[in-house]
Amino acid sequence: MKSAEVHEHEQGWDFEKAAMPYVDSLYNTAYRMTRNSEDAEDLVQETYLKAYKYYDKFEEGTNFKAWLFKIMKNTFINNYRKKKLSPHKIDFSEIEESYERVIQKNAPDLIKDPESEIFQDMMDEDVKRSLDSLPHDYKMVVLLADIEGFSYKEIAEILDCPVGTVMSRLYRGRKMLERTLLEYAKKYGYIRSGEPVKMRSRKDEVKPKKRAPGEGDAAEVHEPEDGDETVLFADDEEFEFELEEEREEEEFQIE
Amino acid sequence: MICYDVKRVIYFFLDGQLGENKQKDFTSHLNLCGDCERRAAIQSRLRQFVKKRMHIDPAPEHLKRRLARAVRAFRAEWSASQ
Ligand SMILES: [Zn+2]
Repeated sequence: MKSAEVHEHEQGWDFEKAAMPYVDSLYNTAYRMTRNSEDAEDLVQETYLKAYKYYDKFEEGTNFKAWLFKIMKNTFINNYRKKKLSPHKIDFSEIEESYERVIQKNAPDLIKDPESEIFQDMMDEDVKRSLDSLPHDYKMVVLLADIEGFSYKEIAEILDCPVGTVMSRLYRGRKMLERTLLEYAKKYGYIRSGEPVKMRSRKDEVKPKKRAPGEGDAAEVHEPEDGDETVLFADDEEFEFELEEEREEEEFQIE
Repeated sequence: MICYDVKRVIYFFLDGQLGENKQKDFTSHLNLCGDCERRAAIQSRLRQFVKKRMHIDPAPEHLKRRLARAVRAFRAEWSASQ
């Protein structure tokens, strides 16, 4: 292995210059992973030192940011995940239809008025909490895709899983996020439409109540009720995606 | 493409990850079907909303200094060991 010193001299490579632009993204993601600023800082530092040490393993021409994220994810799994996170059991039968309808009904001006926002009055903290409430694997794909803008292929690379798994997690993760956002919107009255929100599942109806300090941390993904709803992807993990079979090369190009 | 397919792959379409032909099929469907067009518009707004509200905050300045120090210390340690 070439040492850090050698490639720095040989290639005139300045690690800090190359890696520092990603510190904000890394830190934000680390914070969502650890949910604590001290752990997040330690995680970023360890990631940096590993990246510095193993820079010769980085393949020129590939995405440096994705490479840093991959190191961070591996470090996180080794250091933090085992002790802190317990697996979340979720029933994936979706009741997507009803949620979609609620969003549509409550977002009547969105198309006419490009400046209007879904859940306009919702606070940033509520959105963050909603994302934090997702099970770890689903939170990660949503974060990497929607916040960090990685392609499916890059996410598959970072998380060491097939592209089909990324897609199925993204599908479910986004559905869960939509659902959680809606529950917040209903609970705290952020939905603007005066029309009462009709949910198909009675269990999901939440009575409006005053927000207690610190509340919301306990936001949970509600398990959908079994019913006559269409189950889109009942099987876990590997999501047989019909388009994938056609021509993977063409279907999943980066950029 | 029918509405059912559109619902299944709407996220992947909006991410531009369906591949050229499917992306085109999808767009043609949207041009003909108001429901799906609306569905796609709302989904796209939702993505924007989440992205905007989850904006990336700057990392703390002390962390940046700490990282720079750590890399320098690591380099010095390495040089000394040679
Ligand atoms: Zn349609």
